[in-house]
Amino acid sequence: MKKPAAKNRLNPGGSYWIWYALPAIFFYVLFMAFPLLDSIRMSLYTGTTNNFTFVGLDNFTRLFTDPDLFARYWGSMKNTVVFFIVHMLVQNVLGIVFAVLITQKNMKGSKLYQTIIFIPTTFAVLVTGYLWKLLLNPVWSKNALASIGLEALAKPWLGNEKYALLFVAFVSCWQWIGIPTMMFAAALQNISDDIYEAADIAGANKWQVFWHIKLPLIKPTVGIVTILTFVNNFNAFDIVFAMENVNGAPGYATDLLGTFFYRIGIAGQHPIGIPDPGMGAAIASITFVILMVGSLFVMKLTEAKE
Amino acid sequence: MKSKFMLRLMTLAVAGAMLLTSCGEPAASEASGSEGTASSSSADSGEKVELTMGSWRTDDVEQMNSLLAAYHELNPNVTIKFQPTNPPDYNATLRLQLDGGTGPDLMYARSYATGEELFDAGYFADCTDIPGLKENFTEANLQPWMTKDGKMFAVPFAAVSHAVYYNKDIFEKEGLSVPETFEDFLALCQTLKDKGYTPLANGLADEWDILEAFFLGMLPNYVGGPSQRALYESGEKKFNDPEVVKAFEDISKVAPFLPEGFEAVTYNDSQVMFNSQSAAMFVDGSWTMGVYKDAGFNWGVFAIPAPKGQKTAICFHPDMAITMNANTKHPEEAKAFLTWLCSEEGVKVASKNLPVGYFPMINFPMELDHPQAKEFLALNDGKETDARFVWPKLMELYTPMNQAVIKVLKGEMTPDAAANDVAAAFDKLPK
Repeated sequence: MKKPAAKNRLNPGGSYWIWYALPAIFFYVLFMAFPLLDSIRMSLYTGTTNNFTFVGLDNFTRLFTDPDLFARYWGSMKNTVVFFIVHMLVQNVLGIVFAVLITQKNMKGSKLYQTIIFIPTTFAVLVTGYLWKLLLNPVWSKNALASIGLEALAKPWLGNEKYALLFVAFVSCWQWIGIPTMMFAAALQNISDDIYEAADIAGANKWQVFWHIKLPLIKPTVGIVTILTFVNNFNAFDIVFAMENVNGAPGYATDLLGTFFYRIGIAGQHPIGIPDPGMGAAIASITFVILMVGSLFVMKLTEAKE
Repeated sequence: MKSKFMLRLMTLAVAGAMLLTSCGEPAASEASGSEGTASSSSADSGEKVELTMGSWRTDDVEQMNSLLAAYHELNPNVTIKFQPTNPPDYNATLRLQLDGGTGPDLMYARSYATGEELFDAGYFADCTDIPGLKENFTEANLQPWMTKDGKMFAVPFAAVSHAVYYNKDIFEKEGLSVPETFEDFLALCQTLKDKGYTPLANGLADEWDILEAFFLGMLPNYVGGPSQRALYESGEKKFNDPEVVKAFEDISKVAPFLPEGFEAVTYNDSQVMFNSQSAAMFVDGSWTMGVYKDAGFNWGVFAIPAPKGQKTAICFHPDMAITMNANTKHPEEAKAFLTWLCSEEGVKVASKNLPVGYFPMINFPMELDHPQAKEFLALNDGKETDARFVWPKLMELYTPMNQAVIKVLKGEMTPDAAANDVAAAFDKLPK
């Protein structure tokens, strides 16, 4: 614990700080806390706007007992977990690898690589989604692939229940890999050279340096990246919207919690399109609880030891 | 991060929509100000009024603008602004606008339950007593926008049809002719495939088109018209009867003639393939016709043929109607526009500017200018027609039927199992 700073002209003491925090608190409450609580409240209602009736926990009971609804919910939950695992294994592991490579002292052109890795992150998701949708569609990509001898890859990947989710996840990893790479690179650059020198003197090889020095020292960053990935993936919607459709085609294979929520709570199922905001809020509330518990767990697990 | 971005985008869009309507506010308050003195009709007092029209037809901006310009010429005081939304987002957007009290004054209304639901929620005005509505439309054409107790919630505007688009140049070059039966159709596909063409452009990626345009387009050939449909709706006929099974069987035979990788072919891809002549035929709805207006080849349409021994019927679907906002600030002007749509002179002007591929539903004989539109409408001659099978009463079967058709085409399900799936979904409906 730090000692409270001595009172002076700049620190009059007491709760003066509240005035600095007030604007932020105001906007936080208005745009974050209130909508969040209001959406939890909404999960206890049914009906459409202007015509809500209070039903208590009925939405939650229905979500878990109505066989059709539950089948879709459980399906989207499983898909979201797979989506998250793919991001952890591909996006974040590659992120660490790239970060280690571009922070090597003797690496030539590391700025260039950083730029290349970060470029996809600056694209709009709808654009990358659409581009990859064309690239992964044999109707458009077959000739190009055949000309470089890769005709075997010209398959309708996005139309196949077994592979569609993996490919959507890969495209998402491709797009966002720049962010974990940058965060890991920044963390690695903060490690003091003294430690490397000490390791060098002790005769540690590169692999040992990575496992015993770099990885433990960037553990808090690993935690933050994990939480960011976790939150983003459990709220993911746009990449599926761009590449498949809001139904999570083919056959709900790419249906994530985000698309399921959108169909139920906002758009309604095509073609009738009558949304059920209460049920949507129930789905979102459960997701919120999952995210909160998961994030706290990861934070505990990866916090830096004092 | 990503989803937050979407959220921000949506907030911005909603804020933008609010801004737009608030820009229209001065005109509105002016009008209501004059109402106190000049009783109601602002058309008499020479007041300028601007109405907005919501729609899901982003492709039709040009035609609708010229239709509305024609109306403006007849009624110089009234300007109607066409504000379409992306089709899959229309229901959601419209509902958000209506909930927020920023809905358009006039808007397209979907047929059957989808539209009725917005009427029940109090957003659509009761159109029952619009002059000409009851007289100038057939019962069958009114029905899709009629509530159970006989109230009308919109004025029927246009219907769409479903058929096979074909490349006449390819047919001529290869000496092929339009098939009479479904068996001929399959033989035709085989011939085209043997000659190195992709026979059909249809794909599965967007899901809705394979059901709405293809399967529901061919279904009347198997189960018959409205009277037969009623038997399925009442449960007298089962969805796993031989007729429905045969329909699933026949669509499963089409799979080899779809593009390579059809599982990932989207509706847009299909259009491009037909338009670029890399596919010879495309089973689709009449609403697409405008897309091929600049096609560099001759094309035509033929009815999806019935199997041998059955009569070919047409899926002619009441698709759009126009209604007015129950809470519009200009009920007189909005109602005047709807009345005009119910009159002979009104619909004459309207049908000239109707987007190509949409067919007027009013009882007056209409002359269509577009040659292929004529050809499309002529397919109805002497044939029974019906709305898309599930629309009138069985919308809940849409998704099960859609998934069944997709699985059958992918070879993941037998036609029998598909029909059983739909039958099971029907049995689960609340009676």
